[in-house]
Amino acid sequence: MKLFWLLLLAALSAPATTFYVTISGLGGEPDYEQRFKMWAEDIDSSLKRAGGDSSVVTLVEPTREQIRARFAEIAKQAKPADALVVMLIGHGTFDGVDYKFNIPGPDITGAELGALLDRVPATRQLVVNMTSSSGGSIEALRRPARVVIAATRTGTEKNATVFARYWAEALRDPAADADKNEAISALEAFHYAQRKTADFYESQKRLATEHAVLEDTGKGEGERVPSAENGEGRLAAAFPVVRLGANAAAARDPAKRPLLEKKEQLEQAIDKLKYEKAAMPADAYKKQLTQLLLELARTQEALDK
Amino acid sequence: MSMSLSLWGSFASCAPVCYRRNWRVANPPQDAILPHKPVLVAFVLLLASLLPAQTLERAEAFWKARRFQEANDVFRALVAQNPKNPDYKVRWGRLYLDNSQPDIAVDLFNEALQLKKDHAGALLGLALVAAEDYESVAADLAHQALASDPKLVEAQELLARLALEDNDTAKAAEEANKALALGAKSIGGRAILATIDWLAGKKDTAFDPHAARGYETAGHFFVINRRYEEGVQYYRKAIELDPELYSARSQLGVNLMRLGQDQEAYTQLETCYKNGFQDAATRNSLKLLDSYKKFDTVQTGLIILKLDKKEAELLRPYFESEMERVIATYEKKYRIKLAKPVRVEVYPDHEDFAVRALGMPGLGALGVTFTSATYGSFIAMDSPSGRPPGSFHWASTLWHEMSHVFTLTLTDSHVPRWFTEGLAVHEETAVSPEWGDRLAPPVIMAIKDKKLLPVAELDRGFVHPTSPAQVVVSYFQAGRICDYIDDKWGWATLLAMLRDFGNDDDTATVVRKELKMESVEFDKQFLVSVEAGTKNVVDHFDEWQKRLKQVNALSKSKDYDGVIKEGVAIRDMYPDYVEDGSVYEFLASAYLAKDNKPAAIDELERYVKAGGRNPDSIKLLSKQLEDAGRKKEAADVLVRLNYIYPMDNDQHQALGALWMDAGNLAGAIAEFRAVLAHNPIDPARSHYDLARAYQLNHQPEQAIEELLAALETAPGYRPAQKLLLELTTNEAK
Repeated sequence: MKLFWLLLLAALSAPATTFYVTISGLGGEPDYEQRFKMWAEDIDSSLKRAGGDSSVVTLVEPTREQIRARFAEIAKQAKPADALVVMLIGHGTFDGVDYKFNIPGPDITGAELGALLDRVPATRQLVVNMTSSSGGSIEALRRPARVVIAATRTGTEKNATVFARYWAEALRDPAADADKNEAISALEAFHYAQRKTADFYESQKRLATEHAVLEDTGKGEGERVPSAENGEGRLAAAFPVVRLGANAAAARDPAKRPLLEKKEQLEQAIDKLKYEKAAMPADAYKKQLTQLLLELARTQEALDK
Repeated sequence: MSMSLSLWGSFASCAPVCYRRNWRVANPPQDAILPHKPVLVAFVLLLASLLPAQTLERAEAFWKARRFQEANDVFRALVAQNPKNPDYKVRWGRLYLDNSQPDIAVDLFNEALQLKKDHAGALLGLALVAAEDYESVAADLAHQALASDPKLVEAQELLARLALEDNDTAKAAEEANKALALGAKSIGGRAILATIDWLAGKKDTAFDPHAARGYETAGHFFVINRRYEEGVQYYRKAIELDPELYSARSQLGVNLMRLGQDQEAYTQLETCYKNGFQDAATRNSLKLLDSYKKFDTVQTGLIILKLDKKEAELLRPYFESEMERVIATYEKKYRIKLAKPVRVEVYPDHEDFAVRALGMPGLGALGVTFTSATYGSFIAMDSPSGRPPGSFHWASTLWHEMSHVFTLTLTDSHVPRWFTEGLAVHEETAVSPEWGDRLAPPVIMAIKDKKLLPVAELDRGFVHPTSPAQVVVSYFQAGRICDYIDDKWGWATLLAMLRDFGNDDDTATVVRKELKMESVEFDKQFLVSVEAGTKNVVDHFDEWQKRLKQVNALSKSKDYDGVIKEGVAIRDMYPDYVEDGSVYEFLASAYLAKDNKPAAIDELERYVKAGGRNPDSIKLLSKQLEDAGRKKEAADVLVRLNYIYPMDNDQHQALGALWMDAGNLAGAIAEFRAVLAHNPIDPARSHYDLARAYQLNHQPEQAIEELLAALETAPGYRPAQKLLLELTTNEAK
C-alpha cells in the first residue's frame, strides 16, 4: 500500500523522464515483418507526437546484443523518479518453462528481459509483451512496482496476435482516454486494446486465440478483468503511458493552488458519491451529482482563465 | 436451411456403393425406453424372453417395444455371428434410422450393399435417408430398390411422397396407386392420395388412412406447403391415435414453435426427449427454447421484435423503422392490410437460426417465414452480427421474408414455392437496385449449360435440387421470371397470378390464364430474354476468370498501372462480381496508390452501386468523399452500410458527425444513440456527442441528461463541462 502511494505521488508530481523502448521482433515472413514494423512505427510516432520529457527508442528486428546495449544505456541515464515503458511486438514461444522473444540470432528469454529491466533504476516500469505466447513471460517479468501486460493469458496461446495493432491505436486515439484526464493510462490502453481485440475476433466470426491479461501486484498470474476484487490494475491506472494535453501546467502556478485544491476536493466528493450510488435514492443521487459536477465545471473554468 | 452437402455417388451402374453423410454421429442410446402401454410391454417382453437368444425376432421385439439399446445389442450379436448376412445389417440400419441416427444407418446400408450390391432393403434405406434431406438422389435409389424387388411397397410409397413434395400431383397419385396395387393396405399410398385431396381443400376423401403414420404424412405435406396450422392439426391427429409416435409429436412441437406457441411446443418436445426420441430437431429446438430467456421481445403495433438482449437496444430502431417502411410499401403494393402481427426473431448465433429452418426444403440460408391465419406471421433470420461483416444484407433479407408474409397471407399459403420465392427475390431489387443477390457464377454456368428448369417444374429446383447450386439457380430464375413478367405484363398481372394460385390453380393454368400462352412457350420467351440480358457475362466469363487472376497478381506485385489497364479492360465483362477480390476494389486501391483519389471514388461508387458489401471498402468510399468535401454523399454511403453491417461503432460515430454537419439532427441523434447502445469504448465522448445533437435540436433537457452521464464517467471532461455550464446558464435565464 505504501509503495502504491509513493509511486502515485511520483507519477503525479515530480517532473521525470519516461524511457520508451519499442522492439519489433522477427516476422518470419514478409506479411508479419511488414505488420510488426508498421505497428512499432505507429507507436513510435504517437510517442514522439505526444512530446513531453521522454526518450523514445524503437528497435526493428534487433539482435540480443543490440537490446542489451540499449538497456545498458538506459540503466545509466535513468533515475529512480523516472519511468520505463517496454513494448514487445512479434512472435514469442513458450516451452513450458522458458518464454522466448523471437529476434535475429539467439532469441532473448523472458528471464533475461526481466534481468535487463531490473538493472534500470527507474522505479515505475511497464512492460507490454504483445507477442504470441506472451502469457508465458509474466512470471519472469513481474515484480513489485512493475505493470506487466501480456497479449495472451498463457504461454500456450501460440497463434500470432493482433493485440499490438490495437495497443498502437490506443496510444493515438483520444477515445482510449476514458476518464478524459488528458492522459492515457496503462489500464485505459489495456482496456481499449483488449476490447478492440475481442471485437476483431467477434466480427470475423473467428475463435479468439488470444486473451490479454494485466499483472501489477508483482505476484499474480495476470487478470483478464483487473479490479478491486482481484487487486490488479491499481498501479496501471496511475501509470500514464501517453499525455494528451498540458494539464500539468496549472499545477505549477501558485496563484491557482486554492482552485486546484478545491477541484481535488470536488473530484473526491464525486468519487465518494458514485461509490454510494447503489445505496441512495436515484433522485437524491442525481441532484447531488449535478451540483458537484456543476461546481467542478465552474472551478475548472476558473482554472482555465 | 440445412442443405446437406454430402456427395452421393452415381447409382446408374448399381455397383457396390459407399456413401458418407455430413452429419454428426450421436452416441447410441444408452437408456432403455419403456413404452407406456403396460399390457403391450408385458406381451413384448414375454415374447422376447421366450425367443431363443440373439434372433432377428428378438431384436425386432425389443425394437417394437422402443427398447433400442437391447435391440441394438441383439443386432450387434446377430451381425457378429452372421457377418455375411446383409438382411441383418439392413434391419439394424433401419433401427438406427428409426432412432434418428442416420449416419450409422447409412454405414450399415452401405455394408449390406457391399455384401449384395442390389439389396432392395439397403437401397430403400439409403433412399429414405436421402429423402429426409430432400436429396434428389432419393428417387433414383427408390427406383433401384423397386428394380431389385418390384413388390417393395415402401419404395413405391416413397416415390409417391417424393413426387408430391415436388408438387407433381398427377405423378404422386399415379405412384400412390401403384403402391396400393402392390399392397391394398398401404398406409403410405392412402396417405398420399388423401393428402392430395386435403391439400386441395376436399375434407372428405375416400383414402383417409385412419392411421397415425398416415396423418403424420399429411402433417408433413401441409408444413412443407407452408400451411402450418393445418399441419399441426394432422400431427395432433397422429399422436391421438398413437401417443408414442414421437416423430409426429416432435414435429408437432417444432411447428407449434413456428406459430409462436412456445409453451406447448416445449411440453411436446420435452415429452419426446424424455422418451428417448432425441433427433436433432427435438434436441436443438429444446435448446433454443431454453435460450429464449436471453432475448427481449418488444411490440409496436403489428410489429413484434425478438432480439438478443445484448444487441436489442442497438438493432431495435433500425429493424422497427425498416419494418414500418416495408409494411407500408407492401400494403399498398399487394393491396391488403395485415390484420395479424408479424414477429421477427433475430438470431446472433447462426446455429439458433438454423434450428428454426431445420427440416424445411429449399435454401433458407438467410431467413425463414411462417404464417398462419390464427397466430399471424413469424420471421426468423440471422442478425447482422451473426455473419462476417459484408456477407449478409439484413434489410434485403427482411424485405424478402416480409414479401412471403404478404404472398402467403394473400393466398392463404396456397402458392407454389417458386412463385413466392420469385416475388421475394424480385422485391429485394425492387426496393433498391443495389440490394438483392448478384448474378453468381453457378447461375452463369447454368445459363451457359442451359440448365434452367421449365417454369412448371421449377419447384423441383427448390425441393429436390440435383445439387446445392441448383437451389441458388432456382432462386435466381424464379426472381428473374417475376422481373420479366413485371416488365412485360406489369405488376397487376403478377398480382392476378398470385390470386389464381390462391385459388389452387397450378402453374401451367395460371400462365395460360394470365400470360395467354402455354408454359412451354413462356419458357422459350423467358429464356431468350435471360440469354440476351446475360450474354455479355456468359460469353466472357472464362476469359474474365483468367484475367482476374492476372489483376490479382499485378496488384500483389504493386504494378498499379498494370492493375488499372487490365482491371478497366475486364471490369465490365462481369460487372455483377462484387465478392472478395472484385475488380472494383483492385482498381480503387491502385488509383489510391497513384494518388488519383477522384478515380478511386468513381470506382468505389461503381462498386457500391453494383451491390458491393465489403464494409471496409464502403467506409473507404465514405472517407474519400468526406475528404473531398462531399459530406452529404459520404453520409449516404454510410447509411447504405447500416443496412449491411450496423454493428460498428466507428461507423455510427462517423455518420452521426456527418449528419450533424449536414444539419440532419434527427439522423445524428439516431446514430449517436446507436453508439451508446453498443457498449462504446469511450462512453463519455458518446454521451457528449449525443448531448450536442440534442442541444442543436433544441432539446436542452435531454442534452443535460447526456452531459451528466458523460461527466459521471469522466468528471474532468472539459468540453462536456463547458456545454453543461452553457446549458444550465441558459436554463437559469
